[in-house]
Amino acid sequence: MIHSKFARRSTSALGVAAVLALTLSACGGNVANSGASEDGTEFPSGPVTLTIGQDPGGSTDLIGRAIAENASEALGAPMPVVNKPGANGALATQEVANATPDGQTLILLNASLIAITPLAVSEDEAVTLDDLDVISGISQDDYVLVANAESEYETVEDIVAAGKAFNFATTGVGTGSQLAQALLFKQAGVEGTDVPFDGGSPAMTAILGNQVDFATIQLGEAMPQIEAGTLRPIVTFSDERNQYLPDVPTALEAGYDVPVSQYRAIAAPKGTPEPALKKLREAVSAAFESEEYKTFNEENLFTPHEIDGEQVTEEWTANAAKYKELVEKYDIDLGGE
Amino acid sequence: MEFFEPVLNGFGVVLEPTNLLYCLLGVVIGMLIGVLPGLGPAATIAILLPLTYGIEPVTAIIMLSGIFYGAQYGGTITSVLLRLPGEASSVVTVFDGYALTKQGRAGTALGVAAIGSFVGGTVAIIGLTFLAPLVAGFALDFGPPEYTALALLGILLVATVSNGGRLKSLIAAAIGLLLATVGRDGFTGESRFTLGSLSLADGLDFVPIAMGIFGLGEILYNLEERHNKVQAPAKVANVWPSRKDLKQASGAIGRGSVLGFFLGILPGGGATLSSLAAYAMEKKRAKDPSRFGRGAIEGVAGPETANNAAATSSFIPLLTLGIPANATMAIIFGALLIQGVTPGPQLVQNDPELFWGVVNSMYIGNILLLIMSIPLVGIFVRILRVRPAILAPVTVLITLIGVYTINNSVFDIWLVIFFGIIGYLMKKFGFEPGPLVLAFVLGALLEESLRRSLLLFGGDATQFAGRPITAVLLFVFIVVIILPFIQKALKQRTTRNSTVTNDHKESV
Repeated sequence: MIHSKFARRSTSALGVAAVLALTLSACGGNVANSGASEDGTEFPSGPVTLTIGQDPGGSTDLIGRAIAENASEALGAPMPVVNKPGANGALATQEVANATPDGQTLILLNASLIAITPLAVSEDEAVTLDDLDVISGISQDDYVLVANAESEYETVEDIVAAGKAFNFATTGVGTGSQLAQALLFKQAGVEGTDVPFDGGSPAMTAILGNQVDFATIQLGEAMPQIEAGTLRPIVTFSDERNQYLPDVPTALEAGYDVPVSQYRAIAAPKGTPEPALKKLREAVSAAFESEEYKTFNEENLFTPHEIDGEQVTEEWTANAAKYKELVEKYDIDLGGE
Repeated sequence: MEFFEPVLNGFGVVLEPTNLLYCLLGVVIGMLIGVLPGLGPAATIAILLPLTYGIEPVTAIIMLSGIFYGAQYGGTITSVLLRLPGEASSVVTVFDGYALTKQGRAGTALGVAAIGSFVGGTVAIIGLTFLAPLVAGFALDFGPPEYTALALLGILLVATVSNGGRLKSLIAAAIGLLLATVGRDGFTGESRFTLGSLSLADGLDFVPIAMGIFGLGEILYNLEERHNKVQAPAKVANVWPSRKDLKQASGAIGRGSVLGFFLGILPGGGATLSSLAAYAMEKKRAKDPSRFGRGAIEGVAGPETANNAAATSSFIPLLTLGIPANATMAIIFGALLIQGVTPGPQLVQNDPELFWGVVNSMYIGNILLLIMSIPLVGIFVRILRVRPAILAPVTVLITLIGVYTINNSVFDIWLVIFFGIIGYLMKKFGFEPGPLVLAFVLGALLEESLRRSLLLFGGDATQFAGRPITAVLLFVFIVVIILPFIQKALKQRTTRNSTVTNDHKESV
């Protein structure tokens, strides 16, 4: 009796062990794209995966899905979207950079990851464009400095004239929101404490509840509250006035050198064959041209910035250098407190 | 009428066919695992988390909460019929429930339990309906200092939440807090305990920890435990209690509802404690306490009502303050976060459809349970015959596939296995996994809110006391330090009572 009981117990334990082993080997095994040709002439040889380094539902994810949906027809292959959130997108970017360069695996990039995050994190965690072939730029997403509508401050001049210290909410450390505000306050000579929140929504709640004096959030998130009259826009941080907020001045107009926007681009691993890149470019352009995608941009307040891959690399590299220079010039430490 | 508009809209949400279906699914699964002695609601919800990923948030939470209160019904069935409590909260039901079965009145016991559960659950939902918007009125006043105080309170309660030893709970909670510090520091960008791995840059994910510790850990532990051989269930006749039985039980049901409601709100209270307390109270109030243990109908009605009321009211701190009151709530907290919904004072205003959809689904769920629990008793009991050798590997497979699908990450599978082993060892050595998971959930909130507050205060900690809500919360914090001693006294009394009850049983 005792013996048989023991035997049964070990069977069930074995069963569990077997399942563990099976699952792991199944998931660990690389599902190779069979038949992908080296020179890319037969591209695409199967579904083209678009990897997104952010959670589903955020703006980056929405943009990726809108492109994938409208590009797959021109591409002649399905374009599944896979979210691999982690380290602000660094995890997914690194994974795609190390994938086989056959054009079957793509990544949606955030410019802040390349140009701003390296200012806050240690060097070995920084991500560069060196391991990627950029296919195309996508769009621009502007940041706006807001105050609570009950606040007495309407312009940057008011803030400077107040001559006191303020608290400002950012959407996190190493984001455009943090960089833009730090630069603005430093240049204006206003004493400000930067209080990082975990994303745009908590930062907005903080400003609505008067927990902080100012916040900088992405326009798409702030717009409903601006329209409802609960938040007051003070400046945007783009080069030119935002088409959706034509009455709000830019920081540049107000006299401060703070050109910070979020840009996005789509890229493949370095070394992807030219025919495959060409096909991908065509497919992405086709997506940009579709009515559906244009409506999507308008609804989400994104400004199209559909420049080619080389321009993206140039612009982003220039931005990275500019931010670095500004941060050094004004002695701003995004990491420190 | 303005108040009732979102409430009524919530009913509209529940009555959508998809949501009704998931509500039904949730309560059926809940009842099922309530019947199975090994798997509790926390483990089941943890395992099913990935399933909720692809569905609407409100639908997901409707299903998960259905599992939670459904389990309270299911646990009763085996307690009454087989003297085998499916859940800890149904342990006291065994005393009089099984005695009634032996007298051939199993149907009466189950009927009274079902009706009591329904009443208790409903009373608690009504309480939730009126209390939640009251708290939510302060929503925007909740800034970092308030959250700091809330998180502090929650973590203190971790020490009192568990059934295990205080010291062991504290150790588990400390490990949970430590695990919460892994990842890139949100204030300086510095990496902490990531071992240079980008997979850890965002910290440990809640889901693999919950699935490992609660899911895998519990399965492994159960493989070791041999359950009692399942007896053939007694025939259930007379499901509807007689008018006399109902009259006798009605007082117990009323008292159980109120008691359960309040004990459920208290973090660390919950279903188990309130069922014990209700049993003790009924016995104390009875004119002839010796009837207890020999088939007193109040001994079934009181605890069963109270555990359901408590299960429902424990949603109050979660949905209104964002503070989970027990381990199961911590997992539902995680489920909401996955869905991009942060539970807290803003929830009622920002997401009225979700809030009222979930709350109102409990009315429907309780009705479904009442309808199902009696005719389906026979089927549920048969589930007990499935051998662990079959059940365990299947559950493990579902768990591991499930966790992979969330982030498409093999790393997460390793995490589940790692925490599964930790969970198994913890159970084996008498550490409750609850405090670890709760502290993990609240640890990040505490650290971030505290640092944020200090930034806002310019480093001056005395300003905490200057904010009214924070001051009140910190006062409660101090009160709660005293609370465990009261609980302890209460528990001691119940244990004494149940020893007496066991003596009775032997003499029968």
